Amino acid sequence: MTYLLLSNLSKYYGNTLAVENFNLEVERGEFVSFLGPSGCGKTTTLRMVAGFEVPDQGNILLEGEDITYLAANQRMVGMVFQSYALFPNMNVADNVGFGLSVRKMPAEQIRQRVSEILKIVQLEDLQKRYPYQLSGGQQQRVALARALAIRPRVLLLDEPLSALDAKIRVELRAEIRRIQQELKITTVYVTHDQEEALSLSDRIVVMNKGRIEQIGTPFEIYNYPQTEFVASFIGQLNLIPVQVVDREGGLYRIGGQTIQVEQNHRTPLSSQPKLAIRPEEVKLGQVEGWNQLTALVRQVSFLGAIVRIWLEVEGVSLLLDVFNERKLVLPKVNEKVVISFPHHACWVL
Amino acid sequence: MSKPNTLWSWFWMIVGGLYFFLPLLATFEFSLKARKGVYSFLAYERVFADPLFLRTFIFSLEMAVFTALAGILLIFPTVYWIRLKLPQLRGLIEFVSMLPFVVPAIVLVFGLIRVFSGAPFFLTNTFAGTNILLIAAYVVLTMPYLYRSIDTGLQAIDVRTLTEAAQSLGAGWGTILFRVILPNVRVSILSGSFLAVATVMGEFTIASFLVGIRAFGPYMSLVGQNKTYESSSLAIISFALTWAFIGLIQLLNRGRVQTQIAGAH
Ligand SMILES: Nc1ncnc2c1ncn2[C@@H]1O[C@H](COP(=O)(O)OP(=O)(O)O)[C@@H](O)[C@H]1O
Ligand SMILES: [Mg+2]
Repeated sequence: MTYLLLSNLSKYYGNTLAVENFNLEVERGEFVSFLGPSGCGKTTTLRMVAGFEVPDQGNILLEGEDITYLAANQRMVGMVFQSYALFPNMNVADNVGFGLSVRKMPAEQIRQRVSEILKIVQLEDLQKRYPYQLSGGQQQRVALARALAIRPRVLLLDEPLSALDAKIRVELRAEIRRIQQELKITTVYVTHDQEEALSLSDRIVVMNKGRIEQIGTPFEIYNYPQTEFVASFIGQLNLIPVQVVDREGGLYRIGGQTIQVEQNHRTPLSSQPKLAIRPEEVKLGQVEGWNQLTALVRQVSFLGAIVRIWLEVEGVSLLLDVFNERKLVLPKVNEKVVISFPHHACWVL
Repeated sequence: MSKPNTLWSWFWMIVGGLYFFLPLLATFEFSLKARKGVYSFLAYERVFADPLFLRTFIFSLEMAVFTALAGILLIFPTVYWIRLKLPQLRGLIEFVSMLPFVVPAIVLVFGLIRVFSGAPFFLTNTFAGTNILLIAAYVVLTMPYLYRSIDTGLQAIDVRTLTEAAQSLGAGWGTILFRVILPNVRVSILSGSFLAVATVMGEFTIASFLVGIRAFGPYMSLVGQNKTYESSSLAIISFALTWAFIGLIQLLNRGRVQTQIAGAH
């Protein structure tokens, strides 16, 4: 049986479509992310699961129980907000113990559970501090502990890291995943940051304009995007206009140069077909049996582990990423080079 | 800040201070002149010796406290609910809350007596009934102060997210209102209540029509008409009480205010 089932959910605000025909099955213990640009309906969907919004259509089932219209405070669903939402009048221990004291748990037991959970988020020494005495990262850990203390059936997080500095963000990201695995808690995570979604999730739901574009593992989403939106929203993608030579045979032309595409994941050909290829799939130099193109070097930028090279092919720009090594020989600007990529690494949209 | 700016601020502060303190000083000086030729506290002794002073003062204080309590119970949940669920109604509610400034007290009190002294209420037939009517009138009269301060207090916290956080943790409305929201607007509620209490303590019109000389306002007015020096000393006494009250609230809230301000961002 599916642990959490969202079936055919739709929600409108007046005439604004927020979410439409949303279908998703989440397994027990799974970490699922909603990823998409701002305004695509991620928060709205999450709030329907939390019980803060009622869908106009569809159902939500948790462990087989229909919770579509159940009050938020009856759902046993933990929620972490972007703004932390700690209770300013309570110290850390009281914040974390709030959900337990609401449930009339004996004080001694609350104290134990609070210490236990604060140990997991590594804040056991700060029990007596007030929220304003904590850094953003610490506040969000407290908020996470508070949501986890009630042992929720599902943990929901709405852009929990967006308000934090880059460094803390990456740290806490790893922490969230570790805690999730340790407690084996079913988690739905909302973000507009693809790196977050890719690094954290078992599966990603890519959304656009209130609809699901694709559901899959980070590997599937990145390597086998099913729509142009997914392909260009996640990761860097080169899109080069092509002329069709032989569609069935996978033959296309860029200017005067011909390329071969393995049509292993075809999408409907648009009126202006484009060759799609990730920058890291393109190599400098000739490789036997691969597609080859001649290109002009426009710019070389050294990013550390990766060197990004801006090329121009038949008047269209194309990115190429190489891993840095000490012995790497970098091409010069305005140099003419040959680039290669395998047939299976590219596709036509 | 540039120099001229600082100078001007000082200038206006001094002008404001004089405007405020000169009459007070004059009144105080006058209140000491009850005995011919020398300064004395005679007027003050006479005021305190009058049993009516204490009786009316305590009566009005009781009315004031009940007014503040009833006002908080009525206005706090209402303002909270409007901020949470009906933000589009805020303009209307703000307008309604200002009505007591527009409707003269005399109109209010005649309306109240007309409606509530007859069937089916007969509120003015008993002391208790009259007191209830008085408190009800005061709740209306002091609504602008309480509404303003509570609304400002709620503005400083993220009412909606805090409510949702509490809900997801299993809290019901009572818990949310009194354990999550109320403690964070304690200071605003206290300062609003203080204004309400101060207003009620000195109120004359409604009190004189409903309870007459049982209240402090009419008593002060009576003293003012008959006894020159005592009325000045009364003014000074009520002023001192007011300030003591402010000081007390400041003291109670010293730690709290800091918490709230720092917690807001
Ligand atoms: N309370 C609301 N009233 C009206 N429109 C809303 C409300 N909440 C969200 N919307 C609209 O619904 C759409 C989806 O919003 P949201 O779920 O917040 O997107 P996301 O979280 O992906 O940024 C947006 O167009 C937004 O403007
Ligand atoms: Mg959002």
